[in-house]
Amino acid sequence: MKQSALEVEQLVKEFGGLRAVAGVSLSVEAGQRRVLIGPNGAGKTTLFHCITGTLRPSLGRVSLFGRDVTYLEEYERTALGMGRTFQISNVFTELTLLENLTLAIVGTDRRKWTMLRPVRAFGSVREEALQGLEAVGLEHRAAETAQHLSYGERRQLELALALKSNPRLLLLDEPCAGLSPSERQRISRMIADLPRTTTVVMIEHDMDVALGLADRVTVLHRGSVILEGTPDEVQANPKVREVYFGHA
Amino acid sequence: MDRSRVTVVIVVLAAALALPFYAGPFWMGLATQIIIFGLLALSVDLLLGHTGLFSLCHASFFAVAAYTTAILQVRYGTPTVFAAPAGVLAGTLLALVFGIAVRTRGVYFILITIALGFIVWGVAYRWSSFTGGDNGVTNVPFPSIGPLAVTSHLQYYYLVLAIVMLCALGYRMLVSSPFGLGLRGIKASESRMRSLGYRTALHLYVAFVLSGALASLAGVLYVYYNRFVNPVTGSFQISVEVALMAIVGGSGTIIGPFIGSGVLLGLRNWVSSFFELHAAVMGVVFIATVLWAPDGLVGLARRLRKRRTGIRKDPA
Repeated sequence: MKQSALEVEQLVKEFGGLRAVAGVSLSVEAGQRRVLIGPNGAGKTTLFHCITGTLRPSLGRVSLFGRDVTYLEEYERTALGMGRTFQISNVFTELTLLENLTLAIVGTDRRKWTMLRPVRAFGSVREEALQGLEAVGLEHRAAETAQHLSYGERRQLELALALKSNPRLLLLDEPCAGLSPSERQRISRMIADLPRTTTVVMIEHDMDVALGLADRVTVLHRGSVILEGTPDEVQANPKVREVYFGHA
Repeated sequence: MDRSRVTVVIVVLAAALALPFYAGPFWMGLATQIIIFGLLALSVDLLLGHTGLFSLCHASFFAVAAYTTAILQVRYGTPTVFAAPAGVLAGTLLALVFGIAVRTRGVYFILITIALGFIVWGVAYRWSSFTGGDNGVTNVPFPSIGPLAVTSHLQYYYLVLAIVMLCALGYRMLVSSPFGLGLRGIKASESRMRSLGYRTALHLYVAFVLSGALASLAGVLYVYYNRFVNPVTGSFQISVEVALMAIVGGSGTIIGPFIGSGVLLGLRNWVSSFFELHAAVMGVVFIATVLWAPDGLVGLARRLRKRRTGIRKDPA
């Protein structure tokens, strides 16, 4: 059996009286592309935050690559090989694109503590940063600050940042939300082209993107998993059609 | 560095080096003070301009270093070679403790640093058997290490200038290093930094301690200049004034805090000669800065230059 990259056991997250996540269990094999779908308020992003360490679950366990990380901080999970994007673009708007990528590259190693050597003396980092920008088609804007990017370009930078922390598990929170069809195509192609050494867990509303990329789909509704299966199984399931589209 | 910045640096340095040839003792004293407070403002700006943390307790490190050096020199006759490093060490140790403030952000950070600052001021004021209370510690001699002794204000001016220039170079290295970039990353988005693998609280703590160490060095330089230290040195007012210096001059730059120090100290000297409420003038300067030059004088100069060159390059 393949090792699992992500294991979530009976995870519960409550906000006061609200049970946003009500006992979710998930197991994602290494190399798999897993898509989480579900209507608004299903608890997808909350579940995500518990996996990344932004939120601490009320109950339950989260393991990455066989290691219990429930009580680890976000930066420690990143050191174990987790990378993520945010639902609302979270890039360093005041810094140049090159600096954005540089932070992502040195973030997972000791170079981030270097104090007596200027950033520009790290030639290899610069090259790697430019490659990272090239991958999302932003290399010609390397010297500009991120505030000048369009919405779609910020989404692309967002993904470039997550990829440059060299994740073995990539968590994407609606990477294509709000993008034009051509941008959407570009991002989904990038995700599809990722090597299978990277496990991908992704929240996605766009059914075409979701079902095109996924090996397996998990459907959440009101904080619980109502179905897990292949894209075809999910599409054919009447219960899913009911909660997701509001009619059978 | 572009050419205009090199020019500015050279002009400022040349003016500073040549100052004793055209300025009398009063102006020399003021200049020494401006450079020392500029260094203190620079230390505050490592947090303010690069991490976004607004500290209002930097007078504490400044004062603890000044008191330590003064007490060692005056009361125990400790030579400068030990008394001066001990001052920097004492201030830095205090920063290691006060660094817990980085557990908070925004207005809570400001409040907690104000409270911490008042502790130091209170101790300096009330523990009079040790600190000399209101009178402070007086008769601090000029520094001397073995046969190398400072014997005049002129010599001390050059010593301060040399030390502060070295600090500015080190500071420049620090803020352009990966660590320095990390600080600006935290200012821009702390949540993103965490997800990229940064232990942001530790980064901020280290920056806080470095900043405190720099403020302590300024305190030691100050006590040898001023020849005495009293609770005012560690007061809330000093903490506020140096933060203002950084903002007025241009936060996030190196020359800015020094320009701010020059403007504020110069203005105070000038205004207080004929107007008792000189603090009110400081208030007006600050309001004007926030309204019309939020990036400080350096930012204003850059904007004006950009506008000018922009017009020149415009084909129409």
